[in-house]
Amino acid sequence: MSQRQKQFEEIVERFVELKDTSELMIDLAYSSLLLNNRELAEEVQRLEEYMDKLHTDFELLVLSSKFKKEEAKGFLGLIRLGVVTEKIADSAAEIAEVVLREIKPHPILKLTIEEAEETVTYVRVSENSSLINKTLREARIPGETGMWVLAIRRGDKCIRPKPDSKIEVGDVLIASGYAEGEEDLKKLASP
Amino acid sequence: MPRFEKIEYKPIPVRELLLEMKNLSELMIDLAYSSALFNDKELAEDVLELEGRVDTLAYLLEMETMIAARDAEDAEALIGVSEVASAVDKISDAAADIAAIVTQNIGVHPIVGEIFEKVEERLTRAKVDEGSILVGNYIGELGLAARMGVDIIAIRRNKDWVINPKETEQIQSSDILIARGAPSGIKEFKELAEGKRQKLED
Repeated sequence: MSQRQKQFEEIVERFVELKDTSELMIDLAYSSLLLNNRELAEEVQRLEEYMDKLHTDFELLVLSSKFKKEEAKGFLGLIRLGVVTEKIADSAAEIAEVVLREIKPHPILKLTIEEAEETVTYVRVSENSSLINKTLREARIPGETGMWVLAIRRGDKCIRPKPDSKIEVGDVLIASGYAEGEEDLKKLASP
Repeated sequence: MPRFEKIEYKPIPVRELLLEMKNLSELMIDLAYSSALFNDKELAEDVLELEGRVDTLAYLLEMETMIAARDAEDAEALIGVSEVASAVDKISDAAADIAAIVTQNIGVHPIVGEIFEKVEERLTRAKVDEGSILVGNYIGELGLAARMGVDIIAIRRNKDWVINPKETEQIQSSDILIARGAPSGIKEFKELAEGKRQKLED
Protein backbone atom coordinates (compact mmCIF):
# COMPACT_ATOMS: atom_id res chain seq x y z
CA MET A 1 0.00 0.00 0.00
CA SER A 2 1.33 3.40 -0.90
CA GLN A 3 2.20 5.93 1.75
CA ARG A 4 -0.45 8.19 0.26
CA GLN A 5 -3.23 5.62 0.44
CA LYS A 6 -2.31 4.90 4.05
CA GLN A 7 -2.48 8.54 4.91
CA PHE A 8 -5.97 8.82 3.44
CA GLU A 9 -7.11 5.74 5.28
CA GLU A 10 -6.07 7.33 8.52
CA ILE A 11 -7.94 10.51 7.66
CA VAL A 12 -11.10 8.57 6.82
CA GLU A 13 -10.80 6.52 9.99
CA ARG A 14 -10.62 9.68 12.10
CA PHE A 15 -13.47 11.26 10.18
CA VAL A 16 -15.69 8.21 10.66
CA GLU A 17 -14.98 8.37 14.37
CA LEU A 18 -16.00 12.03 14.49
CA LYS A 19 -19.14 11.36 12.49
CA ASP A 20 -20.13 8.32 14.54
CA THR A 21 -19.48 10.06 17.83
CA SER A 22 -21.62 13.04 16.85
CA GLU A 23 -24.45 10.75 15.77
CA LEU A 24 -24.12 8.67 18.90
CA MET A 25 -24.47 11.89 20.89
CA ILE A 26 -27.75 12.66 19.14
CA ASP A 27 -29.10 9.19 19.87
CA LEU A 28 -28.07 9.44 23.50
CA ALA A 29 -29.44 12.96 23.83
CA TYR A 30 -32.87 11.89 22.59
CA SER A 31 -32.78 8.88 24.89
CA SER A 32 -31.83 11.05 27.85
CA LEU A 33 -34.81 13.24 27.11
CA LEU A 34 -37.19 10.36 26.66
CA LEU A 35 -36.16 8.68 29.89
CA ASN A 36 -35.47 11.93 31.71
CA ASN A 37 -32.14 10.34 32.56
CA ARG A 38 -29.36 12.51 33.94
CA GLU A 39 -26.62 9.92 33.52
CA LEU A 40 -27.19 9.70 29.77
CA ALA A 41 -27.33 13.47 29.49
CA GLU A 42 -24.01 13.68 31.35
CA GLU A 43 -22.58 11.08 28.98
CA VAL A 44 -23.49 13.40 26.09
CA GLN A 45 -21.71 16.32 27.76
CA ARG A 46 -18.67 14.17 28.42
CA LEU A 47 -18.64 13.09 24.78
CA GLU A 48 -18.73 16.70 23.71
CA GLU A 49 -15.40 17.28 25.39
CA TYR A 50 -14.09 14.13 23.76
CA MET A 51 -15.31 15.46 20.39
CA ASP A 52 -13.23 18.60 20.83
CA LYS A 53 -10.12 16.47 21.18
CA LEU A 54 -11.05 14.24 18.22
CA HIS A 55 -11.78 17.27 16.09
CA THR A 56 -8.46 18.94 16.84
CA ASP A 57 -6.59 15.71 16.08
CA PHE A 58 -8.51 15.38 12.82
CA GLU A 59 -7.76 18.92 11.74
CA LEU A 60 -4.08 18.56 12.57
CA LEU A 61 -3.91 15.33 10.61
CA VAL A 62 -5.57 16.88 7.55
CA LEU A 63 -3.44 19.99 7.70
CA SER A 64 -0.23 18.04 8.05
CA SER A 65 -0.85 15.87 5.00
CA LYS A 66 1.31 17.06 2.19
CA PHE A 67 -1.04 18.04 -0.57
CA LYS A 68 -0.57 19.64 -3.92
CA LYS A 69 -2.01 23.00 -4.73
CA GLU A 70 -4.74 21.52 -6.92
CA GLU A 71 -5.81 19.26 -4.07
CA ALA A 72 -6.32 22.12 -1.63
CA LYS A 73 -10.07 22.30 -2.28
CA GLY A 74 -10.56 18.62 -1.58
CA PHE A 75 -8.78 19.08 1.74
CA LEU A 76 -10.79 22.17 2.55
CA GLY A 77 -13.91 20.05 2.02
CA LEU A 78 -12.58 17.62 4.62
CA ILE A 79 -11.91 20.39 7.13
CA ARG A 80 -15.47 21.66 6.63
CA LEU A 81 -16.91 18.19 7.17
CA GLY A 82 -15.10 18.11 10.49
CA VAL A 83 -16.55 21.47 11.49
CA VAL A 84 -20.05 20.16 10.80
CA THR A 85 -19.63 17.11 13.03
CA GLU A 86 -18.74 19.52 15.81
CA LYS A 87 -21.90 21.54 15.13
CA ILE A 88 -24.00 18.40 15.31
CA ALA A 89 -22.33 17.47 18.58
CA ASP A 90 -23.15 20.93 19.97
CA SER A 91 -26.80 20.46 19.07
CA ALA A 92 -26.87 17.11 20.84
CA ALA A 93 -25.34 18.74 23.92
CA GLU A 94 -28.10 21.39 23.82
CA ILE A 95 -30.75 18.69 23.81
CA ALA A 96 -29.09 16.96 26.76
CA GLU A 97 -28.88 20.29 28.57
CA VAL A 98 -32.67 20.36 28.84
CA VAL A 99 -32.44 17.26 31.04
CA LEU A 100 -29.53 18.61 33.09
CA ARG A 101 -31.42 21.82 33.82
CA GLU A 102 -34.13 19.67 35.32
CA ILE A 103 -36.73 20.97 32.96
CA LYS A 104 -39.52 18.45 33.28
CA PRO A 105 -39.84 16.89 29.83
CA HIS A 106 -43.10 17.90 28.25
CA PRO A 107 -45.27 14.91 27.23
CA ILE A 108 -44.90 16.10 23.64
CA LEU A 109 -41.22 15.23 23.70
CA LYS A 110 -41.93 11.67 24.78
CA LEU A 111 -44.48 11.28 22.02
CA THR A 112 -42.03 12.59 19.46
CA ILE A 113 -39.23 10.24 20.28
CA GLU A 114 -41.62 7.28 20.30
CA GLU A 115 -39.60 4.42 21.56
CA ALA A 116 -40.61 1.81 24.03
CA GLU A 117 -37.84 2.38 26.49
CA GLU A 118 -38.16 2.32 30.21
CA THR A 119 -34.82 2.17 31.90
CA VAL A 120 -31.14 2.60 31.21
CA THR A 121 -28.55 0.22 32.49
CA TYR A 122 -24.75 0.04 32.44
CA VAL A 123 -23.07 -3.35 32.44
CA ARG A 124 -19.41 -4.23 32.22
CA VAL A 125 -18.39 -7.18 30.07
CA SER A 126 -16.36 -9.49 32.32
CA GLU A 127 -13.70 -12.02 31.33
CA ASN A 128 -16.03 -15.01 31.48
CA SER A 129 -18.81 -13.47 29.40
CA SER A 130 -19.99 -15.32 26.32
CA LEU A 131 -20.31 -11.96 24.55
CA ILE A 132 -16.57 -11.45 24.17
CA ASN A 133 -15.36 -11.27 20.56
CA LYS A 134 -18.90 -11.52 19.27
CA THR A 135 -20.30 -8.88 16.99
CA LEU A 136 -23.54 -7.27 18.08
CA ARG A 137 -25.28 -9.14 15.28
CA GLU A 138 -24.03 -12.45 16.67
CA ALA A 139 -24.69 -11.50 20.27
CA ARG A 140 -28.44 -11.03 19.66
CA ILE A 141 -28.81 -8.98 22.81
CA PRO A 142 -32.28 -7.55 22.04
CA GLY A 143 -33.60 -11.06 21.34
CA GLU A 144 -32.02 -12.57 24.45
CA THR A 145 -32.72 -9.81 26.94
CA GLY A 146 -35.17 -7.29 25.47
CA MET A 147 -32.50 -4.62 26.01
CA TRP A 148 -31.21 -2.40 23.25
CA VAL A 149 -27.54 -1.32 23.25
CA LEU A 150 -27.38 2.49 22.97
CA ALA A 151 -23.61 2.81 23.21
CA ILE A 152 -20.45 0.90 24.04
CA ARG A 153 -18.01 2.68 26.31
CA ARG A 154 -14.43 1.52 25.80
CA GLY A 155 -11.83 3.43 27.81
CA ASP A 156 -12.43 7.08 27.10
CA LYS A 157 -14.07 6.27 23.77
CA CYS A 158 -17.74 5.76 23.26
CA ILE A 159 -18.78 3.72 20.25
CA ARG A 160 -21.99 3.93 18.31
CA PRO A 161 -23.19 0.35 18.04
CA LYS A 162 -23.33 -1.17 14.57
CA PRO A 163 -24.24 -4.77 13.71
CA ASP A 164 -20.58 -5.63 13.14
CA SER A 165 -19.19 -3.86 16.22
CA LYS A 166 -17.20 -6.40 18.22
CA ILE A 167 -17.65 -6.67 21.99
CA GLU A 168 -14.44 -6.69 24.04
CA VAL A 169 -13.56 -7.51 27.64
CA GLY A 170 -13.98 -4.46 29.84
CA ASP A 171 -16.49 -2.76 27.54
CA VAL A 172 -19.35 -1.04 29.29
CA LEU A 173 -22.61 -1.61 27.48
CA ILE A 174 -25.10 1.19 27.89
CA ALA A 175 -28.49 -0.28 27.16
CA SER A 176 -32.11 0.62 27.52
CA GLY A 177 -35.29 -1.39 27.60
CA TYR A 178 -37.87 -2.76 29.96
CA ALA A 179 -36.71 -3.19 33.53
CA GLU A 180 -37.18 -6.98 33.36
CA GLY A 181 -34.38 -7.25 30.84
CA GLU A 182 -31.78 -5.69 33.11
CA GLU A 183 -31.03 -8.88 35.05
CA ASP A 184 -30.81 -10.95 31.86
CA LEU A 185 -28.32 -8.52 30.37
CA LYS A 186 -26.22 -8.56 33.54
CA LYS A 187 -26.14 -12.36 33.48
CA LEU A 188 -25.00 -12.27 29.87
CA ALA A 189 -22.30 -9.61 30.32
CA SER A 190 -20.95 -10.44 33.77
CA PRO A 191 -22.08 -13.93 34.71
CA MET B 1 -29.98 35.42 -2.67
CA PRO B 2 -32.23 32.55 -1.57
CA ARG B 3 -35.94 33.11 -1.78
CA PHE B 4 -37.67 33.20 1.57
CA GLU B 5 -41.31 32.27 1.63
CA LYS B 6 -43.77 34.13 3.79
CA ILE B 7 -44.93 31.97 6.64
CA GLU B 8 -48.51 32.09 7.79
CA TYR B 9 -49.77 30.48 10.92
CA LYS B 10 -51.37 27.08 10.44
CA PRO B 11 -52.87 25.09 13.29
CA ILE B 12 -50.67 21.97 13.30
CA PRO B 13 -50.06 20.11 16.56
CA VAL B 14 -46.62 20.76 18.04
CA ARG B 15 -46.01 17.03 18.29
CA GLU B 16 -46.46 16.62 14.54
CA LEU B 17 -44.22 19.57 13.76
CA LEU B 18 -41.44 18.40 16.03
CA LEU B 19 -41.67 14.81 14.83
CA GLU B 20 -41.40 15.90 11.21
CA MET B 21 -38.47 18.19 12.02
CA LYS B 22 -36.68 15.37 13.80
CA ASN B 23 -37.26 12.87 10.98
CA LEU B 24 -36.23 15.35 8.32
CA SER B 25 -33.09 16.37 10.16
CA GLU B 26 -32.00 12.73 10.45
CA LEU B 27 -32.64 12.08 6.78
CA MET B 28 -30.81 15.29 5.85
CA ILE B 29 -27.67 14.30 7.73
CA ASP B 30 -27.52 10.97 5.90
CA LEU B 31 -28.20 12.58 2.53
CA ALA B 32 -25.69 15.33 3.15
CA TYR B 33 -22.76 13.07 4.01
CA SER B 34 -23.45 10.96 0.94
CA SER B 35 -23.67 14.05 -1.25
CA ALA B 36 -20.32 15.32 -0.03
CA LEU B 37 -18.41 12.06 0.00
CA PHE B 38 -19.60 10.97 -3.43
CA ASN B 39 -19.87 14.45 -4.90
CA ASP B 40 -23.57 14.05 -5.70
CA LYS B 41 -25.08 17.42 -6.62
CA GLU B 42 -28.66 16.17 -6.79
CA LEU B 43 -28.54 14.82 -3.25
CA ALA B 44 -27.02 18.10 -2.12
CA GLU B 45 -29.86 20.05 -3.76
CA ASP B 46 -32.39 17.83 -1.98
CA VAL B 47 -30.73 18.61 1.34
CA LEU B 48 -30.94 22.35 0.73
CA GLU B 49 -34.58 22.08 -0.20
CA LEU B 50 -35.34 20.08 2.94
CA GLU B 51 -33.51 22.69 4.96
CA GLY B 52 -36.02 25.28 3.81
CA ARG B 53 -38.80 23.01 4.89
CA VAL B 54 -37.35 22.48 8.36
CA ASP B 55 -37.03 26.26 8.72
CA THR B 56 -40.72 26.68 7.91
CA LEU B 57 -41.65 23.98 10.42
CA ALA B 58 -39.49 25.70 13.05
CA TYR B 59 -41.37 28.97 12.57
CA LEU B 60 -44.73 27.22 12.81
CA LEU B 61 -43.63 25.40 15.93
CA GLU B 62 -42.50 28.57 17.59
CA MET B 63 -45.82 30.24 16.84
CA GLU B 64 -47.65 27.22 18.24
CA THR B 65 -45.71 27.29 21.51
CA MET B 66 -46.25 31.05 21.83
CA ILE B 67 -49.97 30.56 21.58
CA ALA B 68 -49.94 27.66 24.03
CA ALA B 69 -48.12 29.52 26.79
CA ARG B 70 -50.56 31.54 28.88
CA ASP B 71 -48.63 31.87 32.09
CA ALA B 72 -45.28 31.21 33.76
CA GLU B 73 -46.14 27.60 34.43
CA ASP B 74 -46.98 26.96 30.77
CA ALA B 75 -43.80 28.69 29.72
CA GLU B 76 -41.72 26.50 32.03
CA ALA B 77 -43.43 23.40 30.66
CA LEU B 78 -42.85 24.42 27.04
CA ILE B 79 -39.32 25.79 27.15
CA GLY B 80 -37.90 22.27 26.80
CA VAL B 81 -39.89 21.72 23.61
CA SER B 82 -38.70 24.97 22.14
CA GLU B 83 -35.06 24.28 23.07
CA VAL B 84 -35.18 20.84 21.50
CA ALA B 85 -36.79 22.25 18.36
CA SER B 86 -34.05 24.82 18.04
CA ALA B 87 -31.37 22.12 18.44
CA VAL B 88 -33.07 20.03 15.75
CA ASP B 89 -33.14 23.09 13.50
CA LYS B 90 -29.42 23.51 14.10
CA ILE B 91 -28.80 19.88 13.09
CA SER B 92 -30.59 20.54 9.81
CA ASP B 93 -28.46 23.67 9.32
CA ALA B 94 -25.39 21.50 9.84
CA ALA B 95 -26.62 19.15 7.12
CA ALA B 96 -27.07 22.13 4.80
CA ASP B 97 -23.48 23.18 5.57
CA ILE B 98 -22.33 19.76 4.36
CA ALA B 99 -24.42 20.05 1.18
CA ALA B 100 -22.93 23.49 0.57
CA ILE B 101 -19.48 21.89 0.27
CA VAL B 102 -20.86 20.27 -2.89
CA THR B 103 -23.03 23.07 -4.27
CA GLN B 104 -20.21 25.60 -3.86
CA ASN B 105 -17.93 23.32 -5.87
CA ILE B 106 -15.44 22.82 -3.08
CA GLY B 107 -15.88 19.06 -2.87
CA VAL B 108 -14.17 16.49 -0.71
CA HIS B 109 -11.04 14.75 -1.97
CA PRO B 110 -12.30 11.83 -4.12
CA ILE B 111 -10.05 9.24 -2.47
CA VAL B 112 -11.93 9.87 0.77
CA GLY B 113 -15.20 8.68 -0.80
CA GLU B 114 -13.53 5.57 -2.21
CA ILE B 115 -12.18 4.56 1.18
CA PHE B 116 -15.34 5.57 3.01
CA GLU B 117 -17.41 3.29 0.81
CA LYS B 118 -15.51 0.28 2.13
CA VAL B 119 -16.54 0.99 5.71
CA GLU B 120 -19.97 2.57 5.39
CA GLU B 121 -23.03 2.08 3.24
CA ARG B 122 -23.82 4.77 0.75
CA LEU B 123 -27.08 6.39 -0.26
CA THR B 124 -28.37 6.67 -3.75
CA ARG B 125 -31.12 8.54 -5.49
CA ALA B 126 -33.05 7.01 -8.36
CA LYS B 127 -35.94 8.32 -10.39
CA VAL B 128 -38.59 5.70 -11.13
CA ASP B 129 -39.08 5.37 -14.87
CA GLU B 130 -42.59 4.68 -16.10
CA GLY B 131 -41.34 1.41 -17.57
CA SER B 132 -39.75 0.24 -14.31
CA ILE B 133 -41.04 -3.01 -12.83
CA LEU B 134 -41.13 -1.27 -9.44
CA VAL B 135 -44.11 0.88 -10.47
CA GLY B 136 -47.31 -0.11 -8.69
CA ASN B 137 -45.54 -2.38 -6.21
CA TYR B 138 -45.76 -2.05 -2.46
CA ILE B 139 -42.40 -1.67 -0.78
CA GLY B 140 -43.14 -4.65 1.46
CA GLU B 141 -43.75 -6.92 -1.55
CA LEU B 142 -40.44 -6.17 -3.19
CA GLY B 143 -38.26 -7.59 -0.43
CA LEU B 144 -35.37 -5.36 -1.47
CA ALA B 145 -33.58 -5.78 1.84
CA ALA B 146 -33.53 -9.57 1.59
CA ARG B 147 -32.77 -9.65 -2.15
CA MET B 148 -30.07 -7.05 -2.48
CA GLY B 149 -29.49 -5.49 0.92
CA VAL B 150 -31.14 -2.21 -0.03
CA ASP B 151 -33.55 -0.14 2.06
CA ILE B 152 -35.69 2.68 0.73
CA ILE B 153 -35.39 5.39 3.36
CA ALA B 154 -37.35 8.17 1.68
CA ILE B 155 -39.48 8.95 -1.33
CA ARG B 156 -39.75 12.31 -2.96
CA ARG B 157 -43.03 12.64 -4.79
CA ASN B 158 -43.36 15.99 -6.57
CA LYS B 159 -42.91 18.48 -3.75
CA ASP B 160 -43.72 16.02 -0.97
CA TRP B 161 -41.46 13.73 0.96
CA VAL B 162 -42.36 10.41 2.53
CA ILE B 163 -39.77 9.68 5.19
CA ASN B 164 -39.20 6.08 6.31
CA PRO B 165 -41.95 4.80 3.99
CA LYS B 166 -44.06 1.95 5.31
CA GLU B 167 -44.27 -1.49 3.71
CA THR B 168 -47.72 -0.55 2.40
CA GLU B 169 -46.39 2.43 0.44
CA GLN B 170 -46.89 2.00 -3.30
CA ILE B 171 -44.14 3.06 -5.68
CA GLN B 172 -45.30 5.39 -8.42
CA SER B 173 -43.86 6.45 -11.73
CA SER B 174 -41.60 9.56 -11.38
CA ASP B 175 -41.06 8.96 -7.65
CA ILE B 176 -37.55 9.76 -6.57
CA LEU B 177 -36.38 7.00 -4.28
CA ILE B 178 -33.61 7.47 -1.76
CA ALA B 179 -32.09 4.18 -0.74
CA ARG B 180 -29.27 2.87 1.40
CA GLY B 181 -27.25 -0.27 0.86
CA ALA B 182 -24.03 -1.97 -0.20
CA PRO B 183 -22.54 -0.76 -3.52
CA SER B 184 -23.54 -3.84 -5.55
CA GLY B 185 -27.14 -3.78 -4.32
CA ILE B 186 -27.39 -0.07 -4.88
CA LYS B 187 -26.32 -0.46 -8.50
CA GLU B 188 -28.90 -3.16 -9.15
CA PHE B 189 -31.57 -1.11 -7.40
CA LYS B 190 -30.86 1.96 -9.50
CA GLU B 191 -31.12 -0.07 -12.69
CA LEU B 192 -34.46 -1.50 -11.56
CA ALA B 193 -35.84 1.94 -10.78
CA GLU B 194 -34.62 3.44 -14.03
CA GLY B 195 -36.15 0.59 -16.03
CA LYS B 196 -32.76 -0.71 -17.22
CA ARG B 197 -33.25 -4.07 -15.56
CA GLN B 198 -36.56 -5.86 -15.84
CA LYS B 199 -36.26 -8.73 -13.45
CA LEU B 200 -35.98 -9.03 -9.67
CA GLU B 201 -33.32 -11.62 -8.91
CA ASP B 202 -33.73 -13.87 -5.89
